[in-house]
Amino acid sequence: MKVSVDPDLCEANAKCFIAAPEIFQPDDDGWAQVILEHLPEELHAKAVRAARLCPRLAIKVEEE
Amino acid sequence: MTMTADKPNLTLEDINLIEPRIFGEKPPHDQWKLLREQDPVRWHDGWQQTEDGEVAPFRGFWSITKYDDIIRISRDPETFISSRGIVIGTEPESATAAAGLGKMLITMDPPRHVRLRRLVNKGFTPRAVVAFESEIRRYTSEILDDFCQKDTCDFVTEVAAILPLAVICGMMGIAKEDWGKMFALTNKVLGASDPEFQDEVAGDIEDVAERRRVIEATVMQGNIEMFQYFGQSIAAHREAGKDDLVQTLIDSKVDGEPLTDEEILFFCYLLILAGNETTRNAISGGMLAFFENPDQLQKLRANPALLPSATEEILRYISPVTHMTRAATRDTELRGKQIKTGDKVALWYPSANRDAHVFPDADTFNIERSPNDHLAFGIGEHFCLGAGFARMEISVMFEELLKRFSKLEQDGPAERLASNFIGGIKHMPVKYTRA
Repeated sequence: MKVSVDPDLCEANAKCFIAAPEIFQPDDDGWAQVILEHLPEELHAKAVRAARLCPRLAIKVEEE
Repeated sequence: MTMTADKPNLTLEDINLIEPRIFGEKPPHDQWKLLREQDPVRWHDGWQQTEDGEVAPFRGFWSITKYDDIIRISRDPETFISSRGIVIGTEPESATAAAGLGKMLITMDPPRHVRLRRLVNKGFTPRAVVAFESEIRRYTSEILDDFCQKDTCDFVTEVAAILPLAVICGMMGIAKEDWGKMFALTNKVLGASDPEFQDEVAGDIEDVAERRRVIEATVMQGNIEMFQYFGQSIAAHREAGKDDLVQTLIDSKVDGEPLTDEEILFFCYLLILAGNETTRNAISGGMLAFFENPDQLQKLRANPALLPSATEEILRYISPVTHMTRAATRDTELRGKQIKTGDKVALWYPSANRDAHVFPDADTFNIERSPNDHLAFGIGEHFCLGAGFARMEISVMFEELLKRFSKLEQDGPAERLASNFIGGIKHMPVKYTRA
């Protein structure tokens, strides 16, 4: 599974850092960045939850 | 305790979500519940054009009442666009609405929406809001000190309305002596369907077209005064550079081009309206919810660590923005209903926020509710830009109220705004005992 954040949509609402800190971290300005792009299976559920929680729907989760 | 007593014999034929007076009595949770259970994507008729042509016709809209459907539509801003109006009845054909369509963030579609939003969104992130906390707390203290000097004790006009007004006016560099004007004009534009804010009395209040005419005239008058005010403000900013949000807009460029005066004007118009009406109603609606559920107030008093989750529950339970509309750009299907190109859909946020499939005991006001992924701010492309400020203002206000007053009681009926767009309270007398 692969995750990405659409920088046009992210507005640093911080939901993803809290839901899945292993995958998302804030950059220096507080915007979300993906620190683990290709996810092991045990993180799939967390990634899906983070994507669902993002108020801007900025997180894309794809099968690979 | 719930806010509505369900009518025993309400049927789908009784559904009426365009009559402002129904909303003036109470939020129609009984209607939304019926729709969710029996026809969650249902066509709702609009109104005819008047003979003199003064009131434009409005064909109607699909009522969307389920949580998942509202997310699905919000997730797809290419199929469901905002630039043909976001309020039921405001059509490109109607003069008052047409003026702003496509020119404000809220009525704009991607890709321009993304670019324009980026000009200001840095100032609204949760991190940016934290920098404002001490200022919000200072405003709140001043408001509550003033409140104690007064004897009318209208919680809405003296407390709930003032904090968000102070914050947005502060950000936009609007002087304190103009706050009253901004409050009155906001009421006129967003409360136009309520007789209290209308300039003229509708000749025959049973005549839908006549009432529609009065509403549109009231909005128009409010718009004119608002634009005059901001027109002068923009000119003043151009003359002597200032350090506020209006200046940011003036100095901004999109694709190398500065914004036009008209775009800046509409930006200011949107910021002032959105910044002061919605949070006002979350605060007064939240206060009323606590009056109706005193055990929850006691719980919060005993444990202020519940403030963040109480704030989310106020937002879910009140959902101050009642709907937004979108227009379909292609034929599409939702729950077996054929939505045709050009059809409007109305997203009923308070309904999504009481969807039993998502929120157990949805009609119960429970400040410890978790999870609480409500849609009070919308979701996706048009997610409320001011959500962080709203959350902070609500939370600080209740924290300071509880610190200052050992007892707060309702001292008369809450008068509701007759509007199907804003779930508002106009007046609510309260009694207090100082701590």
